[in-house]
Amino acid sequence: MRSTGLKTTFPKGLHYLSGNEAAAEGAIAAGCRFYAGYPITPSSEIMERMALRLSELRGVFIQMEDEISSICAVIGASWAGAKAMTATSGPGFSLMQESIGYAAFTETPCVIIDVQRAGPCTGQATKVGSGDIMQARWGSHGDYQVIALSPWSVQEMYDLTLRAFNLSERYRVPAMVMADEAVGHLRETIRIPEKIEIWDRKKEKGGAPFGTDEEDGVPPMPAFGEGERLLVTGSTHDAFGFRRTDDPEAHAKLVERINQKILKSTRVIVETEDYFLEDSDTALIAYGFTARTSLYVVKRLRKEGARVGLLRLKTLWPFPEEAVAELGRRVKRIFVPEMNQGQVAGEVKKYARCDVISLGQTNGEVIQPGTILEALTKI
Amino acid sequence: MPAIIQVRLSGFGGQGIVLAGILLGEAGVIEGKYVAGSNSYGAQARGSNCKSEIVFSDGPIDFPHLTKADILLAMSQGAYNLYCEDVKEGSGLILFDQGQVMPREGLHLIEIGVPATEYALKRLKNRQVANIVLLGAFIEITKIVSRKAMEKAIRVHVAERFRSLNLKALQIGIELGRRVHG
Amino acid sequence: MEKYIRPGVKTTPFCPGCGHGILMNAILRAIDESKMDMKKMLFVSGIGCAAWIPSPHFNGDTLHTLHGRALAFATGAKLYNPDLCVMVISGDGDLSSIGGNHLIHAARRDIDFKVICANNLIYGMTGGQVASTTPKGSKTTTTVEGSPYRPFDLCKLVEAAGATYVARYAVTQPVALINSIKKALLHKGFSFIEVLSPCPTQFGRRNLLDRPEEMIQDLIRRCILQEEVRGLSEEEMAERIITGEFLTCQRSYRCV
Repeated sequence: MRSTGLKTTFPKGLHYLSGNEAAAEGAIAAGCRFYAGYPITPSSEIMERMALRLSELRGVFIQMEDEISSICAVIGASWAGAKAMTATSGPGFSLMQESIGYAAFTETPCVIIDVQRAGPCTGQATKVGSGDIMQARWGSHGDYQVIALSPWSVQEMYDLTLRAFNLSERYRVPAMVMADEAVGHLRETIRIPEKIEIWDRKKEKGGAPFGTDEEDGVPPMPAFGEGERLLVTGSTHDAFGFRRTDDPEAHAKLVERINQKILKSTRVIVETEDYFLEDSDTALIAYGFTARTSLYVVKRLRKEGARVGLLRLKTLWPFPEEAVAELGRRVKRIFVPEMNQGQVAGEVKKYARCDVISLGQTNGEVIQPGTILEALTKI
Repeated sequence: MPAIIQVRLSGFGGQGIVLAGILLGEAGVIEGKYVAGSNSYGAQARGSNCKSEIVFSDGPIDFPHLTKADILLAMSQGAYNLYCEDVKEGSGLILFDQGQVMPREGLHLIEIGVPATEYALKRLKNRQVANIVLLGAFIEITKIVSRKAMEKAIRVHVAERFRSLNLKALQIGIELGRRVHG
Repeated sequence: MEKYIRPGVKTTPFCPGCGHGILMNAILRAIDESKMDMKKMLFVSGIGCAAWIPSPHFNGDTLHTLHGRALAFATGAKLYNPDLCVMVISGDGDLSSIGGNHLIHAARRDIDFKVICANNLIYGMTGGQVASTTPKGSKTTTTVEGSPYRPFDLCKLVEAAGATYVARYAVTQPVALINSIKKALLHKGFSFIEVLSPCPTQFGRRNLLDRPEEMIQDLIRRCILQEEVRGLSEEEMAERIITGEFLTCQRSYRCV
């Protein structure tokens, strides 16, 4: 990859970037100065760009021996004070799951970009899919929360990666950008904004790093080497990090807090977009690249007078259950096109009290407008 | 120019199809157009069929992939055979690398042969820049982006040691385009 | 004490006769004699009995990680903050079996870690299963007729992978062990000390060494310094464990 010649974040204004390149620039803009990763199609361009940019910015980049060590190094760096991330695709995302649970339980800010490809297993490495949505939520054992965002454009690969860092720092939680191959490899016009908002983790000398009485449920997080003599463990622990492996109350309290700190902030975290839903009797719910196709179809059908609209999910986890439930009260039916066999459709069915029709496709290709049109015109 | 123009560049891996697509898209962005570009490639890096698709628009693009090509650039017979029927009838345009591709009879659209590989070899002794020669002819014939924008795109995306070679190839392509389209 | 032991810690969790308490003592003595600043020390461990040596006991930054991954976590912390003195303390199963790949890669990179591998020849915490270090023929809960496979020679393994300080001692050689840890603290590069530590609870009682003192005596009898090997017959060498400092060198290239 060619040098950008930049010693700073990417210049504001219009650029022509791939989604993967834009994600790397979003991370840099957010303040990410540590990257550890392992090559995997179709995400490798993120790693290559981070290698280049972190060398230009005197950050730290390392290619590790596998995806397990990559996410572990990210967590280690985060405790050393870094804004840190990794990027991967399905097989690597699977390998990272145990450590994602560690990050959730030790409340370690970190960002994972999953450029989803056609699974399961090695599947079709260069082809698109979005079959990791449920894995993002439930991939590690036990009860925990993560934040997962879904970009539909190159612009959002930048914007949502930046947002993932902000949310991760604010809530001390692993944040994921659930991209897909189509968006990762898409090249588009992108506008680097003049001003961006940056969140940094709370710090407090002598504070309890794993317990708080504050309303938001997010304790302060000092770094290694600051004289705090931190005690970090993946075992159940008290507010100061002491292992509490036999204490039912300590376990219940910790699990409850790491879940509730996210769930009670869903109003801040969850973002959705409405298109033409005011008078619709039929709605599409879509995310990622498929939301582009869906909007294209909705606009075409609107021209023919159909009362159809789109609810786009920019946040996948925590799930936008309020928006979905509300939509379910207003429309007769909801179609959910997605590049898996109905992972989000299943969630929609949990909250929407109307007909929910899954339009899952798992052939390694993006869903074409004609496919959705055909399904919709059958009604 | 209509509001949306869909261009497909095709050939086999190693011919520089992806780079040509990036240059075309970048030139579009330089001129203030909305652009969406995507590539399709197999797991193997060299030799398999390869395409790069660019959608140009005056406004935001909903579906960023190509639905039906307005223009096809074909640098190999395999790619031509695969995509020549997926071009809009009547208004469609196919530019093919003359000498590499035998065009088919009976397609109801305009077909123009540009001896890009031949000229890259003859004039620059380097078949690697045939893609840029074809790109030069293409922008000359269609005026889809300006020469200035394309030159700037080359400066952004091509490494310095290959830059002047690529700019020369562009010049040759533009002259060729003028001649064949004349 | 408070300088080295975290306030609030009263007892260790180790079984009677476990060698890890001696090792803990040796590490802290080496740190004290080297005048290290505990505020700049990061202790990283994996999962297993040995991983509890630093966590929660040591009064520096401690990172108790996942099974096998201590070196991977440590890599991120050390690369981002090179001022930290990073000591990785974990067991043989954690470092060389589930974490074996991270071990050879951390050694290859020659990252400035002080790795203390407490080798008790078995999986202690999970109930005495065979390890990658269990001697051939030894009985464990998963090798009831004796382990059919050869163990790793961990020192040779990390040396081949690129470590630049390599030593092996038993907890029965405390003075030499302390001196070795002090050398590792001064060494710039990947330092690896394998420390043989008896586990009477899980290893001894299944291998005719029921009582702690029997295990200690067995280690004293078997451990031999590498300088003493010359002139010994094959018969005299059988069952002996060679200890000592096997490698100390500085690489010419820059390492973290």
